[in-house]
Amino acid sequence: MKTKSQLTDFYYKDLYPKLQELEERRIKLKKKLLSIGSFFAILVLLFLFYVQTNHLPLDTLIFGGAATLFIFAFFYRYLTKDYALDFKYAIIEPLIKEIQSNFHYSPNQHILKEYFLHAHFFTTEPDRVSGNDYVHGSIDGVKIKFSDFHAEVEHKDSRDKQTWSTLFQGIFAVTEFPKYFQGSTVVLPDSAENIFGEYLGTLLQKTNFSREQLIKMDNPAFEKEFVVYGTDQIEARYILTPAFMEKILKLKKRSNVPLYLSFRSNTMYLGIAYNKDMFEPSVFRSLLEYKISMEYIDTLHMMMGLVDELKLNQKLWSKL
Amino acid sequence: MSTPMILLIVFLIILVLMYNSLVAKKNQVENIFASIDTQLKKRYDLIPNLVASVSKYMEHEKSILEDVTKLRSEAMQPNISEMQKIALDAKMSAALGSIMVAVENYPELKANENVIHLQHTLSEVEEQISAARRAYNQAVTDYNNAIEQIPTNFMANAMGYTRKEVFEIPQNERANINVGELFNK
Repeated sequence: MKTKSQLTDFYYKDLYPKLQELEERRIKLKKKLLSIGSFFAILVLLFLFYVQTNHLPLDTLIFGGAATLFIFAFFYRYLTKDYALDFKYAIIEPLIKEIQSNFHYSPNQHILKEYFLHAHFFTTEPDRVSGNDYVHGSIDGVKIKFSDFHAEVEHKDSRDKQTWSTLFQGIFAVTEFPKYFQGSTVVLPDSAENIFGEYLGTLLQKTNFSREQLIKMDNPAFEKEFVVYGTDQIEARYILTPAFMEKILKLKKRSNVPLYLSFRSNTMYLGIAYNKDMFEPSVFRSLLEYKISMEYIDTLHMMMGLVDELKLNQKLWSKL
Repeated sequence: MSTPMILLIVFLIILVLMYNSLVAKKNQVENIFASIDTQLKKRYDLIPNLVASVSKYMEHEKSILEDVTKLRSEAMQPNISEMQKIALDAKMSAALGSIMVAVENYPELKANENVIHLQHTLSEVEEQISAARRAYNQAVTDYNNAIEQIPTNFMANAMGYTRKEVFEIPQNERANINVGELFNK
């Protein structure tokens, strides 16, 4: 696999003509968006003035604000759509092919909802899922696929107004796992132990009835970051060997956001909760900026290197 | 109901809960030990085959092979205690490890398909055993904590529960003997 610095070279050398073209479009787009934005800002100010002078109820203001925001979001989406898609075909796809030529990319697809449900990261089911940037392929015969994934839950307030809250947003990956096991094991970010301290947190985790047995791991650093639930105490440790736990910790450090892992039916599910849509082109900052380019390169490099990094390509004997 | 009566009932419920949690912890330890036992047996079953495959070539390591065979027959005896099993397991792991290292010196063995298969199977069993050992240690730690911490220690005393030993995982074994990796060198 190509190293990160090789990819950076590729980004700034081979992709440079396309980048420049996109960069010109980006600047025009930014101007357009800024002028529309200021138009809306003036509209809101006028509206505010109107509400003030006529002593209208506060609800009108909230409604008006929400409507403006919605319309602006619509404009933003509409105007950036083509630019975003061209960016993905011109930049993201070549980057993926450069890392591993046998990988496929579909910017408008995402991993199926069934996989997310099967992973069982959450005990509540999402009411709506969306996503994009579906990448799939295989490394050393180990299949891997990932995409941006957004799972949301619907809420109704007292006035029957519909609102959505995010359950998970980030990259969701599905890969084959080289060990044979029967039950299921989930590794979740440890929020209870962080909020309530070790003793009370563990007590709360133990009495979590919506989950399987609590499995206490023998790596203190891992135990501090994650909580493990599973159907079998031994199987969970068979999957989470000391070396594998270290690798997960390294991944956590590298991504620096909450990680969700699940092991079921010889498959590993991994959720990296970036809490934003990844691989989208930047509109307000230059595509040539190092920090912007590194985000694309680093994320792709990490995701496509997962099989090597976690040593999922070292096939053990599948069944005894 | 009078207050003393209620207090008595609450007290009894607490006693029952404490009793049950101690029994559950003890059974957890026993359950996991049973799984270790199964895995250890699986490994012992592989040994005659391994010894037969390598003994033709390994002239200088005859003593290790004899040791392994001896350890196996000791371990296969009925009625040996948990502690003895634990001790035998440690010796066995070390002896098998040195056989695997020795295989490196024999190109014929390194290329032998039967030996390769055995190595893979052994390393798989080794992983299972290591997982079971870690689960056992955690169960024993929970059990030992319960019988030493207030208030369950009073109950444990009355029930005659005593501390259990954990598996010592020796330093050289903590870096798991990765048979596959040895082989790739």
